[in-house]
Amino acid sequence: MSPVAVGGSISAHGLGGAKDLPIPSELAIAGAVAALVVSFTVLAVAWREPRYDPETSGRPAPDWLDRFVSSRALAIGARVLGMAIFLYVAAAAVFGEDTLINPFLGTFYVLLWVGLVPASLLIGPVFRAISPARTISMLFAKISGVPEGEGLYVYPARLGYWPAAAGLFAFVWLELVYPYSTDVGPVRLWCAAYLGIMFIGSALWGTTFLARADPFEVYSSLVAKLSVWGRRDGVLVLRSPLANLDTVVPRPGLVAVVGVLFGSTAFDSFRESTPWLKLVQSMSTSRVWPDTLALIAFSAGVAFVLTVATMATGVRSDIPRRALPNLFAHSVIPIIVGYIVAHYLTYFVEYGQQTVIQLSDPFSRGDDYLGTADLQVNYWLSAHPTFLAVSKVAAVTLGHVVGVVAAHDRAIKLLPPRHQLTGQLPLLFAMVAFTVGGLYLLFAA
Amino acid sequence: MPGRALTRLAPVVLVLAAALTACGGDGDTDSPATEESTSSSSESPAEPGSESGSESGSSSTGDGVTVTVTREGDSFTPNGERVELGVDQPLVLTIEADEAGELHVHSTPEQEIAYDAGTSEHEIVIDRPGVVEVESHEPDVILLQLEVR
Repeated sequence: MSPVAVGGSISAHGLGGAKDLPIPSELAIAGAVAALVVSFTVLAVAWREPRYDPETSGRPAPDWLDRFVSSRALAIGARVLGMAIFLYVAAAAVFGEDTLINPFLGTFYVLLWVGLVPASLLIGPVFRAISPARTISMLFAKISGVPEGEGLYVYPARLGYWPAAAGLFAFVWLELVYPYSTDVGPVRLWCAAYLGIMFIGSALWGTTFLARADPFEVYSSLVAKLSVWGRRDGVLVLRSPLANLDTVVPRPGLVAVVGVLFGSTAFDSFRESTPWLKLVQSMSTSRVWPDTLALIAFSAGVAFVLTVATMATGVRSDIPRRALPNLFAHSVIPIIVGYIVAHYLTYFVEYGQQTVIQLSDPFSRGDDYLGTADLQVNYWLSAHPTFLAVSKVAAVTLGHVVGVVAAHDRAIKLLPPRHQLTGQLPLLFAMVAFTVGGLYLLFAA
Repeated sequence: MPGRALTRLAPVVLVLAAALTACGGDGDTDSPATEESTSSSSESPAEPGSESGSESGSSSTGDGVTVTVTREGDSFTPNGERVELGVDQPLVLTIEADEAGELHVHSTPEQEIAYDAGTSEHEIVIDRPGVVEVESHEPDVILLQLEVR
């Protein structure tokens, strides 16, 4: 009997079909060696005076571009676009059928969660501009006559990015651990809870809450610091990604955000590995509990290593040691982005195309609203596994280099002169460990 | 200032470029080797097959790979076994089950195998490289991960 191809059956499996092959061991080793060599080369030959200063870095963009980007028309256009997409996909989520071809799932997990990274890399903090949570909160504020952006209280500074870290964890738990992550109902419930929390939070603390607590906005805005777009005293400037990365404002909880983003992606590779799979499947209980514990362990592990590695240095009297982890956390963002590219490249390109096709038929009735229903997915990328593996290793290595340079510049800015080089060593080892660990998971899973 | 940065970074860029060229070289030379091992796996047992052959009963015969899947109530063997397979190389699943059920093959697009109680044979062909999971539903257990090259 031959197997039957089925279109949209429900499965407790996550979105997407085949996954990438493991990268060849030679490539993993080459990437790890490159990361190691580059790290110490940077330490040995790079500059000894800090180069990046948010107050002076960046060239002003051409006037017309600044006027266009800052224009009210563009801001409104982006909000209208964001709301249109939101309402369209929300209709699919509410009235569509509970199948894998409901485009709500692909839009949420692929276009939003993964697509946010390339979009923010290219054009800056894009989610903030289109965020439906922000748009609706602004409309609420307008209707109730509250001054724009203000809430009842001032957002407590000591909360920092902690709420976003919690929100990001809630997302990755839903995506990677929750067994019914591809049923429309629970995902819709998650989104409703997310929107509810954002509305209440922004009513209480104004739009500052959204900038600190909205997981998608925080993620997008952090990745956008690797784009060339920045602002200095309100003027649009073009910066090198390294100079732009230096403008990340350290706030409490930044280390936790970084830990969840990197730890969860590593966990996604780990949970597919044969030893873990065999272990959780031979247990008598469901795999939710061991997976949840492992996800927490990976996220907390990254945050812990980063905390210890940044604090293991001599310090100046004016900067307390416990402030260091958040002051260095920005340098892990490029490592995360490189690893995310490696991890999600095929998934984004191929399942992203699939989602665009599905978006034409939000109610699974055979409609073709957007004219994309008859397009075919191009599987060129998975048909070329060597090209794919080389791109993945290149992305991881490039992310590592940018991270090491960013950490070096921050170290010579913050550390006392006699600890400027030795003080970097623990963090350098931690970064090499992150990169090599990431490569190992790409090789072994 | 940017000019000086570039000169300072030049060694870094060079090392990186050299390393990546090395990667590229490795990758290119590796790819025919992988294909070779795939095509040769039809003659000699594939490496993971021979490693795990005694345990799960996967072996290659003729130009295909065969795996035996056993279901007793809610317990399945094998449990998350890796099996190497070539693109377009048929995988024959011999299913020995004490009750009827369904297996899902998470290729793109997905394939579904319905089996009856007793012993039955089913053939799967994967037409693209990647890792494809063969999963039972109710209860949800991943039986095989096919490494298709």
